[in-house]
Amino acid sequence: MSLDAVRRGVPGASLAMAAQRRARGGYLVDEWGLDPDLVAIADPFFAARWDLSVEGAERLPAVGGAVLVFNRRIGISEPWVLARVVRQASGRFVRTVGVPDIAPVGPALRRFGGVLDRTDEIAGLLRAGQLVGLPMSRDIRSRERVGQLTVERLEAAIETLSPVVPVALVGREVGRSWRIVVGEPVAYPAGGGPLAAAELAEATREAVQEMLDEALPTAWWF
Amino acid sequence: MRVLITGMGGELGTRVSNLLEADDSVTEILGMDLFPPRRRIFRSEFHRVEPTDRRKAVRLVRDFDPEVILHVGIFEPHSRTNPDEARRSTAASAVSVLGAAAKCGSLRQIIVRSGLEVYGRRRGAPTRPDESVVPDPTSPFGVSLGHVEQVATEAGQLAGVPVTLMRLAPIVGPSIPSPLGRYLRLPAVGVDPISELPFSLLHQEDACQAMYSAIGRDHDGPLNIVGPGAVTATQTVLMGRRIPVPVFGPGWIFAAAASELLGAPLPPHSRELLIRGCTADGTLGSEVLGLEPRSTHEVVEQLYRWEDVAHPIQTVSGASS
Repeated sequence: MSLDAVRRGVPGASLAMAAQRRARGGYLVDEWGLDPDLVAIADPFFAARWDLSVEGAERLPAVGGAVLVFNRRIGISEPWVLARVVRQASGRFVRTVGVPDIAPVGPALRRFGGVLDRTDEIAGLLRAGQLVGLPMSRDIRSRERVGQLTVERLEAAIETLSPVVPVALVGREVGRSWRIVVGEPVAYPAGGGPLAAAELAEATREAVQEMLDEALPTAWWF
Repeated sequence: MRVLITGMGGELGTRVSNLLEADDSVTEILGMDLFPPRRRIFRSEFHRVEPTDRRKAVRLVRDFDPEVILHVGIFEPHSRTNPDEARRSTAASAVSVLGAAAKCGSLRQIIVRSGLEVYGRRRGAPTRPDESVVPDPTSPFGVSLGHVEQVATEAGQLAGVPVTLMRLAPIVGPSIPSPLGRYLRLPAVGVDPISELPFSLLHQEDACQAMYSAIGRDHDGPLNIVGPGAVTATQTVLMGRRIPVPVFGPGWIFAAAASELLGAPLPPHSRELLIRGCTADGTLGSEVLGLEPRSTHEVVEQLYRWEDVAHPIQTVSGASS
């Protein structure tokens, strides 16, 4: 029996091994700043914080780049919830768009998969086969309506011919339970052209709205 | 094929000339630099030329009438010269050599050593730029490289030949004089663990192979030369079993002064790299040149291994000894 196998049976041993690995610099950080080792260390906290249920997880691409377009209300929990669900379902990391390029917040969020809100940044991620989480704008007043989608950001998906997958998130910012519905990839508009990104954004927005309408509970006080 | 190499006295220039000497399709090699070659050269002709001696440089270039120019003569601040001299020498060398080459009738290709520093790391700048991103340098060395690229592009347009701009990731290795390599090998190294972003590194041998492989490809435009993966400064220091010393904000002024006292001055572009990171998308470069540079992790491991330099020496007939 190897020493590692013995260590795995000891409570807290994996955390001690991770700490040892970090002390030696023996971990990986990708070009955008994602630190998978740190995500794994923080995972027990995420598990304690949220109770997640997912529908349509099989629609998440197993390989290659894709854009996951998701709704948000206040927008603090949603990126973390989506990232955890995708990690659990497919073992892949979500690179959420919209991290500020200001220290120390920006670099800290990049460790967990955040990326800058730039079309060329998204295109680069998609070319590298990454899953990109693209949030819609916030709609604080109503949780029944999805926000707008920045059309230029979808140009990166069109440029790299990456699938655009709508995702509806239902939950409360201070609550534990979240329901995540993954939809079918949105069909690209026929013919392309300058309007393609705008039409794709509209179709994606409608898809997320429909999924949200179906996923929301009927009780008005929820 | 007649090949002119500027910067032949540097680690990269000497190694590239050794690679060219082993290539039978290269008939004549002329090198020029401020310093003599760092290793033995066999059939290359070397001329010691001050970068500011425009007349001598122009005369040599016109008399040689090169078919390919490999402009490796870039002076990195605190590499072997002080920052002011490095800036002046880089600009003067580019203007005189590339300007003279533009009027050579046999010229077919210009290959220029540049760096990822030309992209700059302004707030909101793309983290991993590809070649389509417009350069926006934010350090004196980046500005210097941007000027060389501009001069080379103008010379290429004048001569009607392709200009390959080799944007190399920061080069470190066991023997190359690099301010970053010296700094990272100090026993205690200042890092900013809260703000730091990852950077990529290129091994000196991969840089030389890339410069050599660009000959004859006739690629017109920039190519990012960078291997897979990235590391943060803290991670690098830990991998090298050094002591990471947390430094924040104005503390970098003291850290830079201390490292200079210890013999490892930290120029602004290296400081920018340690805090703001420096990576790029090297897919096009690998495709065009058919090269797979070493990963950044491998480069860091080799940096701290203190390996002996033992390049196979090519004789005139091409046999290794």
